[in-house]
Amino acid sequence: MTKLVMTRRLASFALLAPPLFVSIIFFIVPLGLLFWVSIHGSSSSELYSDQITAENYIAIISDSFYLTIVQRTLGAGATILALCLVFGYATAYVLAPLSPRARLWLLLLLSLPLLVSNVVRAYGWLTLLGRQGLVNVVLQKAGAIDAPLVMLNTFQAVAFALMTIMLPYMVISICNALATIDSYYREAAQSLRANPFQTFVHVTWPLSSPGVASGMLLVFLMSLSAYVAIVLLGGPRMKLLVSLIFDSAATFRWPLAAAMSFVLLAIALVVCALILMVLRPQRVQGRG
Amino acid sequence: MHRLLVAMTVFTYLFILLPILVVVVSAFSPTEFFVFPPPGLSLRWFATFFGTESMRNAFTLSIQLAIVSSILATLVGTMGGLYIARRRGLAASILQGIFLAPLVFPAIVLGLSLLLFFKLLGGMPAFTGLVIAHCVLGMPFVVRSVAASVLAVDPVLEEAAQSLRAGPLRGFALVTLPLIWPGILAGGIFAFILSFGELNAALFLTGPGISTLPIEIFDYLQFSVGQLVIAAASALQIGLILIVVFGLERLVGLARVVRS
Repeated sequence: MTKLVMTRRLASFALLAPPLFVSIIFFIVPLGLLFWVSIHGSSSSELYSDQITAENYIAIISDSFYLTIVQRTLGAGATILALCLVFGYATAYVLAPLSPRARLWLLLLLSLPLLVSNVVRAYGWLTLLGRQGLVNVVLQKAGAIDAPLVMLNTFQAVAFALMTIMLPYMVISICNALATIDSYYREAAQSLRANPFQTFVHVTWPLSSPGVASGMLLVFLMSLSAYVAIVLLGGPRMKLLVSLIFDSAATFRWPLAAAMSFVLLAIALVVCALILMVLRPQRVQGRG
Repeated sequence: MHRLLVAMTVFTYLFILLPILVVVVSAFSPTEFFVFPPPGLSLRWFATFFGTESMRNAFTLSIQLAIVSSILATLVGTMGGLYIARRRGLAASILQGIFLAPLVFPAIVLGLSLLLFFKLLGGMPAFTGLVIAHCVLGMPFVVRSVAASVLAVDPVLEEAAQSLRAGPLRGFALVTLPLIWPGILAGGIFAFILSFGELNAALFLTGPGISTLPIEIFDYLQFSVGQLVIAAASALQIGLILIVVFGLERLVGLARVVRS
């Protein structure tokens, strides 16, 4: 082995070591520790007690309060996904045929808000949807309503605001997928006398499904941990799973908070697998 | 049909931009509470913001945190990106998965797990803890954008450096680095912006007296009502991001950032 090869091996090891160290020590090990805590009983003096138990998980599954909240979390996720899909697909469908330059600027306009902190974006909705918020004022001036609508502290407010916060991800990933579809495919369908609806169902939709799938995965995963928007727009009584994790940690019930985190991760995994199974993006790519 | 789609597109833009516009406009409001249309413009809420010690401290801390954590994330993430860019096979895919996982991982779970980890180690200063969390969260942006830049470099150039017997460091400094620095910079700036607005992990890691700007805004919104100083704080958040993005556009061009 020459000296140069030795140096190269050494260099590639030196390249890998720091990022791997950070990922293992500050991401994987703490996650393992979190699981370890979740299978222990709680303790008043320590982080967790000595005996190994499944009681935290059993408590979550057997308590109807927790189950309602898991259900509500899934309901919110489904609502957000459905709304994002409808508005995201429609917008992407309008943007995709534009010139690359126009599309770029319009997508940029959508991506800039992603850089702004979610607390600021939720605060914007707080100002808009409040009793004396802009929406109520405009509706009253227009004579559409007599008394201000109560919109805050509802499930609808939370689902709607989260939808708007995640929507740019959906538009961008679907638009990128639509823009790469060769127009020959659509023209071929039309020359075979497919009507626009048939063309969409048999050509455009399947070819765009990888973008739809990646958008849905992102939207769902992001909405699972959007604690702040839920608190601000849902009020103290609108709890989702992520609020329970935070509440349990705030009251020092670490093992319960840890177990709930893994319930959250399990939900994330199952829903992501479902999305991939239903949309089967790899099948489309395979046909190429 | 097409009209309906265009109408929905308009609504999409309204839904996404309106909350931010309303915050910026109300920050310049001269009145005690936001009224529409605003009767004039004033900077009084910005004065209140910088006159409030907790807000001023949170703003400075957020900037310091974003600078330190994004520099670390850029250093470590560049290494990770360089390593995985041209490698194929199972080990490389696993490494790529590990490096990019925090992009989609629920940050609230990361925050909680780091908090417990630090407690078990016997405590960690709040600022260090936040730097670590934001470094983990920012690293994947750098890894992704560096790996994409490396793949865009013709491998022949690196081979030429090797055949001229340049060592790995010299080859990197003279050939690869000048070609990929826009990718490094874009990734680093993303890590900066992420840290500046990050909430979910910071919720667990801020302590009494040590708070980031987003957490300070959140606390204020939860416990006091109708204070337009929050709008000023939010407008500052947005303003700083615009400055950073504008700088990025001048240095690198935004087109490549949207594509990545």
